[in-house]
Amino acid sequence: MVDDERKDKRMEPENIKEILSVVSSEVPALIKSILASVFSEEAGRSMGKAAAAYYKELKNGGMPEQVAVKMTEDYMRTFTSIGDMLRSGGMGRHGERHGEDIGGEIEKRVRERLDERLNRDTDKEREGEEEQKE
Amino acid sequence: MSTLPMVKTVFKATPHLAILGTSLFWMYLTLGWRVRKARTAFEKQLVSQGMSKEDAKRLGACYNDLKNNITNMLRRQVAGNFERS
Repeated sequence: MVDDERKDKRMEPENIKEILSVVSSEVPALIKSILASVFSEEAGRSMGKAAAAYYKELKNGGMPEQVAVKMTEDYMRTFTSIGDMLRSGGMGRHGERHGEDIGGEIEKRVRERLDERLNRDTDKEREGEEEQKE
Repeated sequence: MSTLPMVKTVFKATPHLAILGTSLFWMYLTLGWRVRKARTAFEKQLVSQGMSKEDAKRLGACYNDLKNNITNMLRRQVAGNFERS
C-alpha cells in the first residue's frame, strides 16, 4: 500500500519534469567530459607525448626502426582496447550469455575427454584379461 | 496512469527531452571534428620525436578505430533498446 502510494507520487508529472530536467543537463555534461578526456587536442598531445617517449626509448636502446614502430603500435592498441572494454561493460547481458556458452562448451569437452579416458581404460583392462587367459 | 496526467507528463517532459536529444546529436556531429584534432596533435608529437609521417599516420588511425568502436557500441545499445521496447 505504502509502496504504491510512493510509486504514484514518483510518477506525478511534476516529479517526472524534475527528473528529466536534471537528466537533460547532467547526462550530456557527463558524456561530454568523458569524450573530452579521450578526444581532445590536449588528450591527443599528451598521448602523443607518451607514445613518442616510448618510441624514443626503444630506438635509443638500439631497437631497429620497424620493430620500434611495431611495438609502439602495440602500445597504442591498449588505448583502443578501451572501446572493447566499454563494449563488454555495456553489454553485460550478452557477456553473461557468452559466459554460459563457454561454460557449456567446457562441460562438453570435459565429458568427451572423460569418455575417451574411460573407454581407453576399459580397453586396456580387457586386453590385460585376455593376455592373462592366454 | 489515467489519460490526463499522462498527457500532462508528456507535455512537461517534451522540452527536456528535446534539449537532451539536441545536445546528444550535437555531440555526435562534433565527434569527428574532435577526433581529427586529437589525431593531428598526436601525430605532430610523434613526428617531432623523429618518427616518419607514414608511421605516425598509421599509429594515429587508432583514434578512428576507437571512435568507430564507441559509435558502434552506442548504435547497438540504442537499437537493442528499441527492439526490447
